[in-house]
Amino acid sequence: MKLNLNEDKNLREEHVDIYYANMRPVIKQLIDTVNSERPTLAGRPADEDMDDGEAVMIDPKEIYYLDHIDRKLFAYTRTGVFRLMTTLGACEEQLWNYGFVRVSKSNLVNIYKIRQLKPDLNMKVYASFDNGERICINRSYKKSFNEYLQRMRRISL
Amino acid sequence: MREYLKETLLELCCSYTIISVGGSIFNLFFGGETNNVNVIVMFTFCTIAVFILSLHKLLTRFSPLFMIIVQYLACFGLCTLIVFILSRIDHVTKRGWIEYLVSFTIPYVIGAAFYYYRVFKDTKKQDALIKEIQQAESET
Repeated sequence: MKLNLNEDKNLREEHVDIYYANMRPVIKQLIDTVNSERPTLAGRPADEDMDDGEAVMIDPKEIYYLDHIDRKLFAYTRTGVFRLMTTLGACEEQLWNYGFVRVSKSNLVNIYKIRQLKPDLNMKVYASFDNGERICINRSYKKSFNEYLQRMRRISL
Repeated sequence: MREYLKETLLELCCSYTIISVGGSIFNLFFGGETNNVNVIVMFTFCTIAVFILSLHKLLTRFSPLFMIIVQYLACFGLCTLIVFILSRIDHVTKRGWIEYLVSFTIPYVIGAAFYYYRVFKDTKKQDALIKEIQQAESET
């Protein structure tokens, strides 16, 4: 899909024009995104070749966590794993207001999807998700994680 | 590096003061006494401990339990080496070695237990905070 971005400092009302041949799910999702003003992430199922298939728009609400492995970024959702064509840093910046916080060098977790936070006997702290997976909260990110939780609590109450 | 040195020196000053004053209070009440060699050894042990413990950032990829054990072994090894060198100059009795082992291990175990307790307590607090945020989100 070709993307045209036009910057006009004198524009009074920002708008989005969508040219489409068929009302495909991705177009529908784009419309939903514009209407709800929620950020979405474009990704492809991780088991498919990046050049094949159609990109899907992933709602951050559906993501459990983001994992950066071998210079590739993956989003883990209930329905599957998607490869994203963006960076972890960009996602952190884009999604900080949507419950995403960095817990290690390569992981960003969605706090709304955490089922439980529990330490192991070896004192490593893990965040467990509904899909049964666990992500370790690195102790060097403990302080920023705590600060983030405090800030989100203030915002949400 | 400058920041690290500043922080480490500050920690060394604080820990040595606490140990030194604590030792003086103990001697005052229980009638013990110290000498110049003891003071220097105490300061050397403090320096080793602070330096080894300050390296925790290099071990973040390992579990805290592993880190605690590795740091204990490293500290204990270096301090034992110092005592061993001193024992060449001044004789250290068998009882002295046992007391050294006990007085080194017990405070370390107490510190590790406190750290363990803090990890569990903080995690419980964070978990409650997450539940609270999730609850507030579901209500909106």
